[in-house]
Amino acid sequence: MIPANFDYITVKSLDEALSLLAKHKDDAKILAGGHSLLPAMKLRLMQPKVLIDIGKIKELSYIKEEGGQIHIGAMTTHFQIETSALLQKSCPLLPETATQLGDMQVRNKGTIGGSVAHADPAADWPAAVIAVGAEIVVIGPKGERAIKADDFFVDMLTTSLQPGDLVKEVRFAAPKGKTGQAYMKVRHPASGFAVVGIAVTLTVDGGKCSASGIGVTGVSSKPYRAKSVEAALKGSALDAKSLAAAASHASDGISDAISELYATGEYRKHLAEIYTRRALETAAGRAK
Amino acid sequence: MAEKVVGKGIKRTEDPRLIQGLAHYVDDIKLPDTLHAVFVRSIYAHARIKKVDVAAAQKTPGVVAVYTGKDISQKIGPVPCGAAIPDMKQPDHRVMATDKVYWVGHPIAVVFAENKYVARDAADKIEVDYEELPVVLDEEKAADPKSPVIHEKIGSNIAYKLTAGEGDIEAALKAADKIVRQKIYHKRLAPIAMEGRGVLARYYPGEQELTLWTSTQIPHLARTQISLMLGFPENKLRLIAPEVGGGFGSKLNVYAEEAIMAYASMQLGRPVKWIEGRRENMQGTIHGRGQVGYIEIGCKKDGTITGFRYNVFADMGSYFQLLTPAIPTLTGLMLSGCYKIPAIQMNVTACFTNKMSTDAYRGAGRPEATYVIERAMDLVAAELGMDVVEVRRKNFPEPFGAENPFKVATGLFYDSGNYQGALDKALKMADYTNLRVEQKKARAAGRLIGVGVSTYVEICAMGPSPALPAGGWESATVRIEPTCKVTILTGASPHGQGQETSFSQIAADELGVTVNDCTVIHGDTAVVQYGIGTFGSRATAVGGTAVYLALQKLKAKATGMAAHMLGVDAKTVTFDDGKFTSGGKSVTIQEVALNAHLAKNLPADMEPGLSATTFFEPKNFTFPFGTHICVVEIDPETGEIQIQRYIAVDDCGKVINPLLVHGQIHGGIVQSLGQALFEEVVYDEQGQLISGSLMDYAVPKAAQVPWMELDRTETPSPVNPMGVKGVGEAGSIGATPAIVAAVVDALAHLGVRHLDMPIKPEHVWNILKKNKAGAA
Amino acid sequence: MKIEGTEKINATRERVFDLLTDPAILQKCIPGCEQMEKIGDNQYSAKLSAGVGPVKGVFTATVSMQDLRRPDHYKLVVEGKGQPGFVKGSGELNFVDDGGLTQVQYSGDVNVGGLLASVGQRMIQGAANMMSGKFFANLENEAKSTDS
Repeated sequence: MIPANFDYITVKSLDEALSLLAKHKDDAKILAGGHSLLPAMKLRLMQPKVLIDIGKIKELSYIKEEGGQIHIGAMTTHFQIETSALLQKSCPLLPETATQLGDMQVRNKGTIGGSVAHADPAADWPAAVIAVGAEIVVIGPKGERAIKADDFFVDMLTTSLQPGDLVKEVRFAAPKGKTGQAYMKVRHPASGFAVVGIAVTLTVDGGKCSASGIGVTGVSSKPYRAKSVEAALKGSALDAKSLAAAASHASDGISDAISELYATGEYRKHLAEIYTRRALETAAGRAK
Repeated sequence: MAEKVVGKGIKRTEDPRLIQGLAHYVDDIKLPDTLHAVFVRSIYAHARIKKVDVAAAQKTPGVVAVYTGKDISQKIGPVPCGAAIPDMKQPDHRVMATDKVYWVGHPIAVVFAENKYVARDAADKIEVDYEELPVVLDEEKAADPKSPVIHEKIGSNIAYKLTAGEGDIEAALKAADKIVRQKIYHKRLAPIAMEGRGVLARYYPGEQELTLWTSTQIPHLARTQISLMLGFPENKLRLIAPEVGGGFGSKLNVYAEEAIMAYASMQLGRPVKWIEGRRENMQGTIHGRGQVGYIEIGCKKDGTITGFRYNVFADMGSYFQLLTPAIPTLTGLMLSGCYKIPAIQMNVTACFTNKMSTDAYRGAGRPEATYVIERAMDLVAAELGMDVVEVRRKNFPEPFGAENPFKVATGLFYDSGNYQGALDKALKMADYTNLRVEQKKARAAGRLIGVGVSTYVEICAMGPSPALPAGGWESATVRIEPTCKVTILTGASPHGQGQETSFSQIAADELGVTVNDCTVIHGDTAVVQYGIGTFGSRATAVGGTAVYLALQKLKAKATGMAAHMLGVDAKTVTFDDGKFTSGGKSVTIQEVALNAHLAKNLPADMEPGLSATTFFEPKNFTFPFGTHICVVEIDPETGEIQIQRYIAVDDCGKVINPLLVHGQIHGGIVQSLGQALFEEVVYDEQGQLISGSLMDYAVPKAAQVPWMELDRTETPSPVNPMGVKGVGEAGSIGATPAIVAAVVDALAHLGVRHLDMPIKPEHVWNILKKNKAGAA
Repeated sequence: MKIEGTEKINATRERVFDLLTDPAILQKCIPGCEQMEKIGDNQYSAKLSAGVGPVKGVFTATVSMQDLRRPDHYKLVVEGKGQPGFVKGSGELNFVDDGGLTQVQYSGDVNVGGLLASVGQRMIQGAANMMSGKFFANLENEAKSTDS
């Protein structure tokens, strides 16, 4: 647990971070909460030559609602999300996800921006940000751009971030109308990461499901949107039978389900179905 | 009148420093000019070393020395093994690999540098050329004559074969109405002490004094062994076990790294330090368990056990560590459990494998025995359609004690026991009869509830000297200082058990002082008289008894002195609450303490000072016991297992501090839970340790631990005057079978009779799925 | 660890076989392969900068092709070692005609040792999938770009 040599630079502004990133390119890594990066560095699995600590950039830590959009700064910690009155009221899925994420130490230091940028295949945030239809706002050498969460996660530990980019915020439309949400997860007994994690948001109109977002993590080498589940829910009465039928599609199209010591891909897919149904039932109950 | 404190659950005096981070572990001890060591370890399980190129490492600025196995292996004696079994084959275990590597983690070279970063950078530059050899991983297949051989000089992978037990097993099995058989696994476990190992060595060439700070459970034994390895005088070697962050048996050992650091500090003329990382800890610190066995148990129709045979293959790993070969023999000793079994036989085949050595891990061989006999009793109950409680009760001995010790067919005499008492209490706490009713109802409603019962007995207070390789006694010195502060020097080496508190409680009551007046010193061979150490639930029963006996000697002397000061006959003096009284006159122990040191008013034949030393040799082991009951609910859709209730009634004899006892029981149950449901050291088919970090190896965390309903019965041990038995391993021995039994019971209606540990939800789901498919 | 799968490449079997036995093409297809030098008959030494996302290691590897039977079959053996450990893989490749396209059926064993094995257990299979995915995507591109 002894990292390789690196330079450590603390920056006070986004501009400073971006110019350093531009200068050091692939040699540099951004240090946010550090709860994925530092363990990997201690194992020497990652050996960045320069660490750019953005922890002092105050402008990246916020949770706010503007014009129907909720904005969460990249450096907002899991704990801040867990305890945000704004989110608990307008999008409780995110605080519920945060409560199940890591342990207290991780939640106090780890950040949503760091987590999505790291793109661990079993991390919790990716499921939630996909479910709420978030965009990841990225800032890079050519300025700002927004990437749909669905397109942001490319593969294991791989995002569509380009060299020189950093995550600025996560934003999404505040849920409107009668909504119900839930995050359910099977924790790996050792790591606490999601064996499966299911994030659900449902909108109900006239007793029927008018829209839904289902994000799944842990099952495949990247988080995904369970589109067939969403399609099956559209217009459904959200009764037990229709929820179970919809949930049966939770791992449709997944051919590379993760197998490791604790759970095979087959079991993961099964858990995905069961927990999707349970999360849907919980969310539907909350929507009433 | 001061309140007596023995039996009171007072808080640990150790805790303030631990909680505040003020304690000093090896890595907290900083000496100027210290060099830091990093090891290069094998990444192959079995390979010939063709070349070790250290040139680039040596040239790295800041590197002071690099040693390879070839450089030092013959300069330091072999890593010791203290156990001897007849006809045992013992490989020559050198401190580092020379021609061959035998497991992933086998040290090949070590770098000493100005700081650990430079040392690690340089270690990364060392190139090792390997020629891979076929690996031997399965302890059962290893015994096959066609298996590749690990130690060419030994010629086979069999370390020893041993048959133990008494009675005519063949006749006993023949007399049975039924014989139940089951193959059973005890997977390897990693002890995972919170603090890994660590060593700091310093040599003063002028004084020729070598000081070794090392995280160990056995400071004196380690000193003796390391002095032999180095050919260095034992009385010039000072070994200090500073704060030790847990051991669980993994530090009841002498490791190569300890001797290498000592050697290097003498060669390099500077202090050297090595602190183990967690990956190294998983790879290079001993593992526990590692057995696969075959149960054969014979019973009459009424549940009476006629005979019990256990044929077992024990995984030694590639080398012996201190007690490696002895662990399966402890399994053999305890196979009778708390039952009358006329004939018992264990056949052990102990094999070498290309893995880290196994050795003592909390319970050391006894959890295996308890698991085996408890699973066997459940299998018998299932076979006969009896309740698991009834089949146990049927085979219990009547309550017994000093006059009628319980003799079992493994050769042991159990000291005292009342198995019915603990069972009855636990059943009442659990409301067992009602539990079974509830279980039936739940099952009818499609819920899967299981109840597991384990009635265990363990062997503790290791133990009479003939039974232990290095002596089974323990030592204590108690000194009353001039200001009447009490100093207790114990040869035991507590590392989390809380004996700084409990030994102070003993002294406080005996001397009429407060717990805060007492201090317990341990772990420093230059300060403490020779002792054996802390393992095998022995520190209180043997070490505490030594303290108690030293206190009696001390009190006798103080009484004589008090009588002299009072001018009365010693026979007339009573001592109570810190006061010596005779005929209305009294002196306090404080006055006596001062007088003993001023020495101006002593009886003519009395030496000054107030100090007494005892070496206590117990006549027998002690045998704590108890009943654990676990209630689980299984998610019928996913196979996930939830522990709903956990009830434990333990009997560890007289209790000095119930809070410490509860702490030990809690911790043991948690480790059992880990073994039953989560933990497993996994080597892949190439011998790579793929459960190599705590991301994959699942040690239970607080949130995974159920509420525990604890109580106890108290059956004093006749083996020592305080009647204490020991409790350090009870939880890890009694709980595992109860948890496994509960899961099996939840699935019993599907024909499940046994499941191997760790029971993973996916496995349960597969059973449920198969059953559903079968039913459809 | 076993890996197996079938990929379809839009080219004839002969072409696919030739591409997959051409060291220059292999270098382009093997993710992170920085150089490839011939060291013997159908044997090459390679330098790989392989990894997943930011987790990267530099490996020196030998790549050898055995049991070549154009256009049906060959066996590819890769042994690499580097600071994060070692990777050994051997795979049988079978080329099956599929109406003018070629099915590449592969099955093999990948063994990983050292650091990668001890801490990477939960990601190794995903990483192997990712690498083989990239490999075949690159191959598809090569088949296209060098199409005459």
